[in-house]
Amino acid sequence: MELILTSAGSYPRIGDTPDAQRHRRAYAQHERGEISGTEWRAVEDEVAQQVVREQAAVGLDVVTDGQVRWYDPISHLARHCEGVQINGLLRYFDTNFYFRQPVVSGRIRRRESVLRREFEVARAATDRVVKPVLSGPYSLACGSILEGGYRNRRELAQAYAEVLAQEVADLVHAGAALIQVDEPYLLRHPEHADVVHEGLATLAAARGRAHLALYTCFGDALPLWDELMALPVDLVGLDLTYGPKLADRIAEAGAPRPLVLGLVDGRNTKLETRDALFGILDRVLPALRGPVGLGPSCGLELLPRARARAKLENMVAIAREHGGRDGRPR
Amino acid sequence: MSRAKLQSLGLDLPVLPTSTVGSFPKPDYLVEARARATRNAITRPELDRLERQATEFWVRTQEELGLDVLVDGEQYRGDMVAYFAETMSGFARGGLVRSYGNRYYHKPVMVGPVRWPGPMTVDWWRWTQSLTTRPVKGMLTGPYTLMDWSFDDHHPDRKTACLALAREVRKEVEALLEAGVRIIQIDEPALSVRPDELGFAVDAMHLVVDGLPAYYVVHACFGAFETIYPGLLDLPVDNLDLAISHSALDLLAMFEKDPFTKDLSLGVLDVHTHSVETDADVATRIRRGTAVLPLNRIWVDPDCGLKTRTVEESRAKLGAMMSAVRTVRAQLG
Repeated sequence: MELILTSAGSYPRIGDTPDAQRHRRAYAQHERGEISGTEWRAVEDEVAQQVVREQAAVGLDVVTDGQVRWYDPISHLARHCEGVQINGLLRYFDTNFYFRQPVVSGRIRRRESVLRREFEVARAATDRVVKPVLSGPYSLACGSILEGGYRNRRELAQAYAEVLAQEVADLVHAGAALIQVDEPYLLRHPEHADVVHEGLATLAAARGRAHLALYTCFGDALPLWDELMALPVDLVGLDLTYGPKLADRIAEAGAPRPLVLGLVDGRNTKLETRDALFGILDRVLPALRGPVGLGPSCGLELLPRARARAKLENMVAIAREHGGRDGRPR
Repeated sequence: MSRAKLQSLGLDLPVLPTSTVGSFPKPDYLVEARARATRNAITRPELDRLERQATEFWVRTQEELGLDVLVDGEQYRGDMVAYFAETMSGFARGGLVRSYGNRYYHKPVMVGPVRWPGPMTVDWWRWTQSLTTRPVKGMLTGPYTLMDWSFDDHHPDRKTACLALAREVRKEVEALLEAGVRIIQIDEPALSVRPDELGFAVDAMHLVVDGLPAYYVVHACFGAFETIYPGLLDLPVDNLDLAISHSALDLLAMFEKDPFTKDLSLGVLDVHTHSVETDADVATRIRRGTAVLPLNRIWVDPDCGLKTRTVEESRAKLGAMMSAVRTVRAQLG
């Protein structure tokens, strides 16, 4: 069984030492008008490439740019749309992280391509697979305040899907082979699985030969298992830290499509033990066919940088031990 | 019911008692002094003097505004979890994590058995109470929020950590009661984040307060309260302080379905906006509460601590709140 080690999206953009805080200092300088937009973008590019190289050095097979340019998961893409204004802060799920709420007052239209350049900068830093990440249309709709342009959240989600499909097409054109779509709000609103399905179908139609990976997090996906497995995507990333039952289900019945197992808790600093990960992998892997991904339960930006790296190093070491003695996971 | 408890504690409060949620903005001189303290550029006694100066300013301000139950304003705290984590043993300062934009903070980490180090808030309460004849609340962060807003390298699971913290928080409650506190507010803003954990959050609150005579308020904000209601009513406290400025109608509709059985602090000011509510706005929010709950079970306060507002905004918002309360009281005769 091939075990592919992967990032789940975000990664801390600064560390605790002064030399690891280049991004923070430049951000403040840019806000104060002390450096130009061009200089600020150069710092962002540099930090993104540093994050890519750090994940590759740790031993991940699939890396991301850490979403280091993203103000937050909701407003980053929405702020590039006509018909949207960015509003005040709101807590992001049960984290101590806040996002800015987009306010939709009219029909939305993409003003410019956002992710293609970010992907190209990241890809230039590594020979590993670089996976661009985007927040899914349903989650963007849930995070937005709807004031006009659409009658309801379903219509807004579909409008966001049309915008995101353009991003997907751009990424495919630029050579992205694997694209991650985050839909964390799906677990909070299982009754809207059909809205998520419709939005993802729009994205899937634009993916060409690239693979689309749906990621959920911040909850137990078990109650939505059948709906998740029926979504028009190529693989599904699962947060397995919210209880043992989801792993039990996979161990018993397998899965009809490739999975990425989010076994490394992206919410807490405690390092996973070898025994705990072996216990789950030994039960789950025999039930699965084809390649299986292993990664964090969610983006790692909720952790301090040093601990995020330590978590990945720990995961790689355990995966290699589990896979065999040839130094590569299987 | 709880009005009788207040009276048994010697607290004779007017109808629609007014209070605040805890924190007030720090004056510029204190912000600057705290920054210098991180560089060891100011002595601890000098910082302490400025913290007391700011506390006294807020006590006088609350008295001038006419608030009934006062707070110390938390001028000596940086953050509602970090203050306790930095004081209790078993915690370490964690690395930097981003909260939004370019804002980062050191999220605490539980690295060993958590232990109460002796009174953490009692001296501040005692000193604040010495400045005024009005009752001053004791202010604590609850065990569930201390757990949820910290990393945990030590305990096997979240429940174990929460209950361990509860046993230590209880010791602070005991110390406050010994000093003479009669009203204690326990902040649990994280309470609604994982509805399936409400059961052990309630167990933890029992560990904190059972058998200890005081009037207890639990403040919860950022709420998806519909996900933990009516289970929320199992908390063994007298008063629930809920952010209601945005969602009054939804909450109150919930109360019509499952009757609210405790006193309610109506959070009628939106602390997250710079704009100052009008007296009429606030009065309307109060009346939404009085429409579904008996008058003698309603308190009035902002929907969260005011520390993110300016001094001027805080005074203006509270002025609107007090004006609205006086209007409603007068109309009620």
